[in-house]
Amino acid sequence: MIWEAISLMVLLALLAYATGRLSRYSGIFAVLAGFVPLAMLFDWAPTAGLKHLISLGFEKSTAVNIKIATLHFSITPLSWLFLTMVGGIFPFIALYAISYFKKAPGGFFGSMTLALVGATGVVLASDLLTFFIFWEVMSWSAFLLVVRGRDRSAITSYFSFSALSAYLILFGIMVLRSEAETLSFSSLSSSITSSRLTLLAFISMAAGFGVKGALMPLHIWAPRAYSRSEEPFVAYLAGGLSKLGYYGIFLLFYSFVGVSVITRFGTFRGVPYLGYSLAIFGALSAFIGTVLAFMEDDLRKLLAYSSIGQLGYIAIGIGIGTPLALSGALFQAVNHTFFKAVLFLAAGSVYYRTGRWKISELGGVAYRMPFTFLAALFSIFALAAIPITSGFAAKWLLYVSTVDKRFVFLTPIMLIAGVGAFLYSFRILYGVFLGEPRYPDIKEAPALQLIPMWILVMPLVIFLIFPGKLMDVFGEIFAYYGLEGVSHTDFAITTSLSSYNTLAVIFALMGGLMVAFIIYVSRPHRVVSHYDNYLSGEIPEVHEGLSLHAATRYYKPVEDLFQPYFAHGAERFYHHIEVGLEGVGDGLRRLFKTTVSNMIYLVLAGLLLIGWWLTW
Amino acid sequence: MVDFSSILALLVEGVLLAALGVLTGILFMGIARKVVARVHNRVGPPVYQSYIDIIKLLTKKTNISHGWIFDLALLFSISGILLTLLFLPIGGIKLLSIHGDLFLVLYLLAIPALGFALGAGASGNPNAGIGVMRALVMMFSYELPFIIAVLAVMIYYDTTSIATIVASQSHMRWAILVPPLLIGALVADMALQGMLMEKPFDIPIAPHEIASGPMVEFGGKYLGTLMLYKATSIVVETTLFVDLFLGGAVVLDPATYGAVAYAVNLVVWFLLILAVFIISVLINTVFPRFRIEQALKFYWSYDTALAILALMWIYFLYI
Repeated sequence: MIWEAISLMVLLALLAYATGRLSRYSGIFAVLAGFVPLAMLFDWAPTAGLKHLISLGFEKSTAVNIKIATLHFSITPLSWLFLTMVGGIFPFIALYAISYFKKAPGGFFGSMTLALVGATGVVLASDLLTFFIFWEVMSWSAFLLVVRGRDRSAITSYFSFSALSAYLILFGIMVLRSEAETLSFSSLSSSITSSRLTLLAFISMAAGFGVKGALMPLHIWAPRAYSRSEEPFVAYLAGGLSKLGYYGIFLLFYSFVGVSVITRFGTFRGVPYLGYSLAIFGALSAFIGTVLAFMEDDLRKLLAYSSIGQLGYIAIGIGIGTPLALSGALFQAVNHTFFKAVLFLAAGSVYYRTGRWKISELGGVAYRMPFTFLAALFSIFALAAIPITSGFAAKWLLYVSTVDKRFVFLTPIMLIAGVGAFLYSFRILYGVFLGEPRYPDIKEAPALQLIPMWILVMPLVIFLIFPGKLMDVFGEIFAYYGLEGVSHTDFAITTSLSSYNTLAVIFALMGGLMVAFIIYVSRPHRVVSHYDNYLSGEIPEVHEGLSLHAATRYYKPVEDLFQPYFAHGAERFYHHIEVGLEGVGDGLRRLFKTTVSNMIYLVLAGLLLIGWWLTW
Repeated sequence: MVDFSSILALLVEGVLLAALGVLTGILFMGIARKVVARVHNRVGPPVYQSYIDIIKLLTKKTNISHGWIFDLALLFSISGILLTLLFLPIGGIKLLSIHGDLFLVLYLLAIPALGFALGAGASGNPNAGIGVMRALVMMFSYELPFIIAVLAVMIYYDTTSIATIVASQSHMRWAILVPPLLIGALVADMALQGMLMEKPFDIPIAPHEIASGPMVEFGGKYLGTLMLYKATSIVVETTLFVDLFLGGAVVLDPATYGAVAYAVNLVVWFLLILAVFIISVLINTVFPRFRIEQALKFYWSYDTALAILALMWIYFLYI
């Protein structure tokens, strides 16, 4: 059944590709393909409620013989959770895309569906070969979509980092294969030993997955690819596909290599050094990504850096690896999937109506697009972890887990990155949506764009009220990997340090809102134009070039302070590598363009070296 | 099984304490004006002036709004700050603080601030935008030393719950009596100066530069609500300081002394937050205003260095 379902998705991808040049409604095929993972999710749902109503008959695990190899698929609680992230958002994004394109989008929907096929295969795979094949399907179809952006720097950086990631992962897989004599997830960790080679394989695979998860300093491709591709794809890349990197890292810790082997490389207060260093990289991503985000003027780049920052929290959680931290990481992954998808879609809708990406050129969009604004506002609340969305529970679990382990470096870095998130959040809210009404004539986004956005906002509300439901799913994952669970009820999470009850927050907020509402209705008010403000004696339009919107280089004082420290950032480092590689390439080319006699001597020298090596 | 009588008791307690918090805060605003005036050798308005101001503003007949997003400022500022107040132990009365912790309070404090910022942004006045930018950068500045100092408290008592921190300081074993936490308290007090937006950190509202910044377009019931928000936030922020470093103002144990203990503790709470607030006001009277980047530099260098000292001292010598 799994193989048939995947074949069906490939068929739909082909149909979407074939009809892509005819009409934008070829997206229907992509939407249909998106319902296949939804059906799987439904059939495998860990809570029994839905399952007994109807059974679609997806088996728990299967093996498919293709001529040269056998592909293994199986469903675990972890892959179910990640399938909700990569599969759950897809049909809605595809639906949005139908409305987003004004004319036939060519290969867009075909490649999108193929990316979904790859992502589904990755989360369902139960051996390394299958995993890698589908990983490459996913990476390559995403590459086809990046190419559509026609931006050289985005294409080359995405390509080189994807290739790097693929080589690193393949290298790791080969080492693990030679160590364990097996590729199957279930028997890998029992036959791996803690040799130096294993360590090398672990680090190279972690780096390979880190590329997809945009972990600093492997993030260079992300801002470029995110800011130069079409918005529905970026929403899927940031919301869905980036999680696969962390899926890989999670499996690396608990399935490929196994915690018992990793702890043998040394531990720091019960946390393996390897995990702790991952957490440090995550914390750096969280902080630097956040700071870069609030200094960015391009809305898409801002969101890209914010993604890097938010994904860093997942790395911190997986790195620390206590049940609390892991719950935080998975919770953050679920939240990020939905809020980042909505934010990119909302940014797309703003572009759809105004044709602008620069925050300094936008402003006052919310007055004309209130529903887009509200969806974006709610996602921003989730992003900034304001406790009126589910975003807070994830961050809270991570903070408490670091205090629990007394990691005095991680907690302040994470918290200050959290405050930094307020800064760039408000830059989006004020610069794009509020302030001077610069676009008085635009219309609200089309319903086909609003409906997917609002569907994707819903989980953020549901998991605010019932964080326990999500914690139940995490509990199954922990049980599967032999970890302890986190004690919780439907509404409250309790740890040894403190507890968090969402009902208390919700009811107290309602009480507060009642007081506020009484004040609000006690006296009438009159709504006046935005230009009728304290400049009232003057009419601003009369003054040429007078801007009432303070959105150009909004955080200039901070920028001026931080700029010198970012001059030697990762970009510069990769630039040096690039220049160095060019030099090497130039040298090699000169070798081959030389005279015949030089060539003969070169060949002789080469033969001599090989002879030495053979006889040594 | 839901225990309705305890929920009812909680409700009554909550309403009474919220009212007490708001009224105390307004009184403090009046006291601040009086103190500043006396230091400047003026007579100053009576201490109840702020009550009169707020009643006048809330009962005005003409109120100007800039649309529904502007109204969010009114709705979220007062509700958010009352919500935060309920999650703090006040004079040993726990209220909802057992259902949350310090991190929750830090994030709850963002609800009114963000609501207020939304309204300010929707007013379309550039001064409001600049003011909010300054307020957020201020937050970014003082949070770093504050978090590090508070982390020292959290790992010393091995909890993140404020109620537990208060309970661990019972019998007058105040955090401030532990030498590294005294440094922590000093750091937190400097951060408090920024939180309360008193000089030299009144950069976001700087009346002479950006016409009161975020508040520039607010009037009538909107300004009245914002004054209520400001008043309550004084109480919330000083109470947070008292809970963390001054034993939560618990001097008598309610288990032995009963109702008398609650009354005494509330009086002590009032005196302690008044003392913390007066210190901040006195600093306010003698300082000029920093520029925003100076504030960021100050907090991220001197204050953070002190905070790291306190944290390291706790980390290596106390646990």
